[in-house]
Amino acid sequence: MENSIQSVPQNWYLLLSTFMFCIGVMGVLLRRNAIIILMCIELMLNAVNLLLVSYSSYAGNAEGQVFVFFIMVVAAAEVAVGLALLVSIYRNVASTDIDILNRMKW
Amino acid sequence: MNVSVDYIAIFIQFLVGFGFVATTMVATHYLGPKRKTADKLASFECGIDSQGNARLPFSIKYFLTAILFVMFDVEVIFMYPWAVNFKELGSTGFIEMLLFIGTLLIGFAYIIKRGALKWE
Amino acid sequence: MNTLIYTACLGLFGLLAEIFNLRKYLIPILVLGLAVIFSLNLQTWNNPQTHFNGMLSDSNFSTAFSGLALFIMLIILILSGDFYTSTDDEKHISDYMAILMFTLCGALMMFSFSNMAMLFLGIETLSISLYVMAGSRRFEVKSNEAGFKYFLMGSFASAFLLFGIALVFGVTGTFSIDGIGNYMRMHADKLDPLFIVGMLLMIFAMLFKVSAAPFHFWAPDVYEGAPSLITALMSTLVKIAAFAAFYRLLSTCFVFALGKAEIVLTVSCAATLLVGNLVALVQDNFKRLLAYSGISHAGYMLLAIISLQGRTDSALFLYSVGYAVASLAAFAIAITVFKATGTESISGFNGLAKKNPLLAASLTMAMLSLAGIPPFAGFFGKYFIFSEAFRNGWQNMVFVAIISSIIGVFYYMKVIVAMYSKPANEFEIKPTFAYQMVIAVCLIISIVLGLYPGVFTKLL
Repeated sequence: MENSIQSVPQNWYLLLSTFMFCIGVMGVLLRRNAIIILMCIELMLNAVNLLLVSYSSYAGNAEGQVFVFFIMVVAAAEVAVGLALLVSIYRNVASTDIDILNRMKW
Repeated sequence: MNVSVDYIAIFIQFLVGFGFVATTMVATHYLGPKRKTADKLASFECGIDSQGNARLPFSIKYFLTAILFVMFDVEVIFMYPWAVNFKELGSTGFIEMLLFIGTLLIGFAYIIKRGALKWE
Repeated sequence: MNTLIYTACLGLFGLLAEIFNLRKYLIPILVLGLAVIFSLNLQTWNNPQTHFNGMLSDSNFSTAFSGLALFIMLIILILSGDFYTSTDDEKHISDYMAILMFTLCGALMMFSFSNMAMLFLGIETLSISLYVMAGSRRFEVKSNEAGFKYFLMGSFASAFLLFGIALVFGVTGTFSIDGIGNYMRMHADKLDPLFIVGMLLMIFAMLFKVSAAPFHFWAPDVYEGAPSLITALMSTLVKIAAFAAFYRLLSTCFVFALGKAEIVLTVSCAATLLVGNLVALVQDNFKRLLAYSGISHAGYMLLAIISLQGRTDSALFLYSVGYAVASLAAFAIAITVFKATGTESISGFNGLAKKNPLLAASLTMAMLSLAGIPPFAGFFGKYFIFSEAFRNGWQNMVFVAIISSIIGVFYYMKVIVAMYSKPANEFEIKPTFAYQMVIAVCLIISIVLGLYPGVFTKLL
């Protein structure tokens, strides 16, 4: 099963990850719940991971997969920091709706 | 290898999975007797009356432990490539990995010193 | 590379200091360590090398900017001794210091990356540390809000950067900046559309990181909510690191594609200049004022990047140094005033000239340097960029830049007017010894650089 990644044409991966990325972008822009926004950012990063792995497999170049490792680690660190910030907000204002984040304007 | 034939198995699995859930849900809906009382509609909690809302803020300890687990768990992926190439990388690779783990250990010692893993 | 490793060791030392209860000695040791690293960093001058299989490469560009970054962090550390004085702060001082060191590591990676992986890791190391620092006043909702906003915006932009990197990798098959540059050289006349999309996504993400319009809206909120010392760090180190990385990216990978991206950069540059300066006019909060001032300075630096050929790195460096020392001096004074008066609005500066004429004069000098008035470094940085851009045929952009810097003088004057002509409030304002030293050193550098700009223009 070496070529199981390549049994799907390259462009389909590009399309799929672009769609996933766009869903993530729309989620970040439209949803109001901070946790769902965090999930959407993760979705965007995972779309990139999928794209990198498929490119890497097609080019026979392992660099892309190593890059995916870095993205995964950084994503974990980001989520940890993001959730921690969210918890400290929740403790102060008891809500995870980002509309409350409007104390500063202009 | 024929792609469309390969996917038939997955299709059947989907069908069986969804089919089972749908059939059992519909069947229980029609088969079971319906006698609704206030007690029966209340959410069940080990025979004790349920109190308050389920969406209470939970203890911060769970959160901290979970986050720390995620952090250290993810670092394991750097060990897979090293493990696969263990012989080729030789002693240099081993020393580099020791440095990496050592750095993580400093972080871990820091967490323990800070008391993030104390449950009380 | 050694600079980076030693800095990371200092960060780990911060953690060890917490483990072994050495918190009291932490700041002096870190200051000493940074000073040693600063002198070691000079050894890489004129000694270009690549490290880690082409992941990082030292050059005079990276050495100069690393030196500047180390200097800024040194100043921030000296300021932090008198900034973190509450008991809660003292409990967390080693966390703060370790995170600051890792921030510096991220910046150093951004100066010397020669592989996209290092660019990404550098940006993320810098940003993630700053998300934490921006939200580090845990019980203040404003600080929480700043941290979380910065986090959302920053990781959103990082995702775009990654998608761009992935597309560029798909077309070129490499992450190395030289490899991508070679690909561009060979296919300059017929570029893959995917490559152009990837390049534009990366440019957008970088514009976001340097807080250029129309991606600037996060900056004022984050600057206002973050603790003042961290705001000082963000408006100097982070902005300069982002610009150095942006310039490195454009000058190595995308040098032949600039024709395609030029319109994007030009529009963004003009918008940044105008938005930054115009919105700053109506600000009342001093930190927000400096945030918009930082946005407008991003506009001038963008002008340097798009218009200058060949001499951009020295222009960028000169401008960065001038901007950094003036901002640091302004923030050092502002932190003193905030602490004494308890307010961050410009009215806190009312009548400062009567109570502490020396401090008022220092802030005036910092403001004049930021506004670009001779004989300070800010003037020469701007003059250098404008004259070179004019010579290279960017007259329209220079016109926009000059107009906006004239607008800019007004809001800097607002602070000066408040200090000299408004009636004084009753607060006693006197900076501590460390702050006096920092203010003096920064202003002396600013004046020396304004009088002898040749020191740096011929450097790179």
